[in-house]
Amino acid sequence: MTHMHIPDGILPVGLWIAGFLLMFLAMGISLHRLRNSDQKKKIPLLGAISAAMLVAMSLEIIPIAYHINLSVVAGILLGPALGFLAAFITNLMLALMGHGGITVMGLNTLLLGTEVIVGHTLFYALHRRLPVFWRAAAATMLTLFLTTLALVGIVAASNVDPGLFRDAGEHVVVERGAHHEDLISVSRFASIALSLGFFGWFIEAAITGSVISFIARVKPDLLSHVLHREKTAQEGRQTR
Amino acid sequence: MIDVARIDYWAASGSGLFHRASPPAKIVFLLLVVTAAVLSKNPYALLAGYCVLLVVAAASGLPWTRVMALSWYAAVFALLYSISIRGGFWIRALFIVKAITPSCAVLMLIVSTPYPKIFSLLSSVLPEILAAGLFMTYRTLFILLDMMGNFAAAIRLRGGFSPGSLYKNSANISRGIAMLLVRAVERSSRLYAVMVVRGYNGSMAEAGGIRLRRADWLPILTGMTVLTLVLTWK
Repeated sequence: MTHMHIPDGILPVGLWIAGFLLMFLAMGISLHRLRNSDQKKKIPLLGAISAAMLVAMSLEIIPIAYHINLSVVAGILLGPALGFLAAFITNLMLALMGHGGITVMGLNTLLLGTEVIVGHTLFYALHRRLPVFWRAAAATMLTLFLTTLALVGIVAASNVDPGLFRDAGEHVVVERGAHHEDLISVSRFASIALSLGFFGWFIEAAITGSVISFIARVKPDLLSHVLHREKTAQEGRQTR
Repeated sequence: MIDVARIDYWAASGSGLFHRASPPAKIVFLLLVVTAAVLSKNPYALLAGYCVLLVVAAASGLPWTRVMALSWYAAVFALLYSISIRGGFWIRALFIVKAITPSCAVLMLIVSTPYPKIFSLLSSVLPEILAAGLFMTYRTLFILLDMMGNFAAAIRLRGGFSPGSLYKNSANISRGIAMLLVRAVERSSRLYAVMVVRGYNGSMAEAGGIRLRRADWLPILTGMTVLTLVLTWK
């Protein structure tokens, strides 16, 4: 669940302000974690992957109203700290292009940043058990499932009547003027989001798996921070 | 397709009032329009604001027809989602104008301001890695869009699309995305290396203090007009 396509002025002010505060906190932590690394060498990669995420998000798969995100790809290639910054850059540019509201940018960055961090963590956690394709695909499926639950949490926390939200594939659209009898509960919203979202996760998982396995074959140095750890662990085991 | 060279040409070659205004004034203009879009509850008021933006763009010599066409790119997403909304015309129209109005303001900013000036302003308030990341994303986005157009043509010419074969098409598209990503990283690294060779060290040469100019009245007045329209036309 990449981000909410909620127009400005719908969510309670306290919620989106809290979203911005948490986003700035997470960005502060990310920048702090990057302070000892050679940041300048990573800027081209950060720019290329943020741009790739932007392009991917602008390609709509119309029948299921889904667009791919490449957020797990970003997490795997950039790592959690730099990946979170890519999530911020992507959401800032998307918001300026009218793809989602400006005020929900904080919450959207948190959702996308969570995908980046969880995707990276799961890919790394699964690395010794599965081939690269399945490792990336499984990490993507699990990540998108978890972030969809996070989205349901935001809906529940918003105190906005869940009937005003309607799922369209992986997107959530807010509506106004719905009659009271049409309103649905948080649990109903969750079941719609999880069931419809599944098709989108499947596509995203297949694409992420293919992209990462292609990169592992053609340009493995892009995965070096992950593969290096794997190699080091194998060497460590052989030494023992 | 957005042509970055053309945007750069418009930004650098114009001499109208909007071009002569300082980048900080144009950022204030953008913030005022975004605030208007956030606060708007009436699609007609915001649509009137959008028309004001187009009139100002035309009057100050900006390529207003292209600005208008490109701003409707944002409406594609809004239109798709507004179709699935149960609400009536009012909410759908509001959804679309909330998307196109800030988009139009962003376009007016980028076609009237050379990009080093925008990013030098950002680099004075953002951490270096974020400002440079935004800059590289902006430049790589256009490179990637261009490469995508070439990729789509190449895959069709070589028979990469097989009607009815979902698996084959998906596999080709996935490999295409991976290849584009790898090439985008390479092109981006090359671009960055060229910038470093030319003296880039994390901040733009244009960086300087915030100085207002006489021509700044136009963007600020335009932004305030849009905001006033939204606040007064309930």
